[in-house]
Formats: sequence, C-alpha cells, structure tokens
Amino acid sequence: MNQSGDIRFIVIIAIALMLLLFASFLVALIFSQRKKIKYQRSMEKLREQQQNQLIEAAVRSEETERHRIAETLHDEVGAILSSAKLHLLGIKENSLDEKDKKLYEKGRELLNDVIQKVRGISHNLHSNILKEFGLNEAIRHFLKKVTQGTIINATEALDDNYQTENPDNDISIYRMVQELINNILKYANASELIVSSSLTDNELDLVIFHNGNGLTQEQFEELRYRKEGLGLKNIQNRVILLKGKIHFTNGDEGYRINIQIPLKLQEA
Amino acid sequence: MNHYIQQILDCSEVWALFIPLIIIYQNKNRIAYLKPVRIYIWVALILNISIVLIAKRNQWFSLPKYPNPEWLGSNNFIYNFQSVVRFFLFSWFFILLNQHLFKKVKRIIPFLFLVVGLINFIFFEDFFNYGSFSGRLISIEATLLLFYCLVYYMYMLKDDESSFRNSPSFWVVTGLSIYVVVNIPIFLFYTALLKQFEGFTVGIWDVHNITFIIFCIFLAKAFYESKR
Repeated sequence: MNQSGDIRFIVIIAIALMLLLFASFLVALIFSQRKKIKYQRSMEKLREQQQNQLIEAAVRSEETERHRIAETLHDEVGAILSSAKLHLLGIKENSLDEKDKKLYEKGRELLNDVIQKVRGISHNLHSNILKEFGLNEAIRHFLKKVTQGTIINATEALDDNYQTENPDNDISIYRMVQELINNILKYANASELIVSSSLTDNELDLVIFHNGNGLTQEQFEELRYRKEGLGLKNIQNRVILLKGKIHFTNGDEGYRINIQIPLKLQEA
Repeated sequence: MNHYIQQILDCSEVWALFIPLIIIYQNKNRIAYLKPVRIYIWVALILNISIVLIAKRNQWFSLPKYPNPEWLGSNNFIYNFQSVVRFFLFSWFFILLNQHLFKKVKRIIPFLFLVVGLINFIFFEDFFNYGSFSGRLISIEATLLLFYCLVYYMYMLKDDESSFRNSPSFWVVTGLSIYVVVNIPIFLFYTALLKQFEGFTVGIWDVHNITFIIFCIFLAKAFYESKR
C-alpha cells in the first residue's frame, strides 16, 4: 500500500473507530436505561402489591369488625332488649292508671322500635343473605328494604347468570352497591333508581342509574380525598382490591355509575 | 444520475435544515433550553445558504471563479464563523440543561475556546484563509462539543430519570454526537489531506454532509418530542 492509500485508510479507520466507540457508549446507555426501567417497574409492581395487600387487610378487617358488631348487636343487645320486652309485657295493664297506661304503651312502642332497628342494623352489617343466596338476591333484598315506603321508584335488572366465584369479592361488590345506594338516598333527591348488571366472559358490569343530583367523575375524584368522603374512599379501595373500574357519568336523563369487575381475577 | 445525487448532497447543508424547521413551525411549544438550538438552525440556514451560493457561484450564476477581494471566492471563512457560532450556541444549550455534572467546567470552556481561538487566529492561522477552513479550530470545537455530549450521557447514566429517550435534549445531544464523532477525523485531517489528495478530500466531505442530514433529522425528532 502506498503513502496516499495509508492516509486515506487511517482517516476512514479513525472515522469508523470513533463511530464504533460512540455506538458502544450509546448501547451501554440504552442497556443501563432498560435496566433502570425494569427495576423501576418491579418496584412499582411491588409497591402496588403492598398497597393492595394493605387495602385488602383494611377491607377484610372492616368486614370482620362489621360481623363482630352485628353478632354482638344480635346476640347480646338483641337478647337484652327481647328480655326487657318480656319483662315489660309482664306488667298488668289493668293495674295501671290512665297516665301510667300511656307511658307503658309508649315504652312498649319505643322498645319494639329499638328491637326492629337493632335487628335492621345487625342484618345490614352482617351479610347473611349474601352468603346464603348470593350477590343478586342480597342486592334485591337491600334495594327493597331501603326504598320501601319512600317516594323512590326502585327497579332492578340483575343478570342471573352471575354465579359467585369468590364470596369475599361479592361482599366487596355488595358493600359498594350498599354505599352508593345509601348516598343516592341521602343526597341525590332522586325519584327513580335502577340497578342493573350484565355478565360477559371476562367481567361483571354493574350500573346504578338515578334521576337525582349525582356525582360526576371529577367530583368523585375530589371528594374521595376529603376526610368526610370516607364512604367514597372505601368504594375506591374496594375497586382497587377487585382490580375493577368505577366511572361516574351524567346525561340528560340522569346520573349513571358504572362498575366493572373483572371475573378472571376473582377466580385467580 | 450520480451528478444529481451529488448536487443534492452538495446542497444538503441547506435543505436538511428545513426538516427541523418544519417541525419547529408546527410546534408552538417552546422549551427554554431548546432556544439556542432554534437560533442555531436559523443562523446555520443563513450561513449555509451563503456557503452553497459561494461554492456554486460559477456553476449556477456564471460569476467569476476568482473574485476581488480574493476571500469572497471562498466559503471557508463562513465555516470558521459557523464553527464559532455553533460552539457558543451549543455551549449555551448544555448550560441551560442545568445538569450538575461538570457545571463549572461547562461555564469555563466557552471562555477558554474564545481565548484559544483568538490566539490561533492572531498568531498562527488566517480566519479568511482562501485555501481551507481552519481544521484546528473546527476539530477543537468538535472535540469540546463531544466532551459536552459525553458529560451529558454520564449524567444520564447517573440520573434516576429513566425515560430520557422521550426527552428532546437526548435527541439533540445524540444528533450532535453523531455529527462530531464522525467529523472530528475529517476536520482534523482536512487541511493536510486537501493539499495531497484533493479528490479524496472532496469525496469525504460527502460523509460530512450525510452526518449533517442525520444531525438535522435528530434535531427534528427533538422538536417533535418537545411537542408531546
């Protein structure tokens, strides 16, 4: 090779070497970035898992506490109240004067009310119907109970093809529906309420529709971070726990709450 | 066919700049640290138009090959000027990135470059040299820019930010790195090669033009990312 060839060769080799060095540097950088991303993702996953575990523990302990309170109310307070009623019924009405008779009647009436209320609270807290008859029946029963004697026209169209796979998750779904319907009854001033569900291969879609003043998605997002929005926070926690989605929309006819629960995860 | 390709390549220093300029025109989102790059593109466009017009004056407009004053017949001083402008604008860009690695060094380098450049052109080289641009100046400029780029990558390696590939600065720096990495040997040996192997040296300038096109594409990508 002559001198001119040498110099040209050197220049070309120099360019190639510089390019190669730079390419290696860039590849190393990209690999390091990928490693970082992988690590961050695994950390994110771990954090999510921990968060879900915490939510699950909170939800389960809340459910256990509800059961404990329900049982105490039913077995202890209920029993004492029933005993008090028996004692009250033991008083001979004939021996009482008019004033005492009125007091006796009032006392009996109030005691009956308290017994009914305690039973109602106990049943509300306990998920007996849910365990025995399943989610749909529990929702139907709850809907009937809370709207009976009110001006709300409540209807349901629940998909009976739904079969309970995981009772714990059904409790969460039931509690969400309970909380949402209670909120509608308390704040929405609605005259019509429809609860419906449809089942697909992968998920259960629950829709709660009402014609009152409901929440928009933005309001829900805002309220669930407030101290007073505990019920909404619980709903959100249960949605996270079930790996589902909740969406609030409003149209001309009214407000709609869509809850999507993936079923495959329930089975897992 | 080859003649047309050669003409396109010869003018690439002008038309390639329109690639990022189109994206800049479409993108109203102005990131502060990209301001020096935007200025560079406009300045480079003006200077490169002058470079091409001077180079093609005889071929396109039948103007004299050797005008008076002599230096007007050569576009080499514009390359020198562009090198200085490019260096200061990209130094500004790297300072604006506000990366903590070698922060003081990055602020001192432009002054050093200015001093070295002045000494070089006062005592050793002619800024308006007719025969060739200052290989010394441009290769020092390219090496310093490469240093900035490597510092940028080192910072990225240390930084916790993982999605730097979506960052406009990454595309600017990568484009600039490719441009300077390939061109350092060309700039370094250009003057020496031109004296001995004119044909080869003119041919190797096509490599410079191709890397300039790549550089412009990367700048366009940077401005495209800044849109998101």
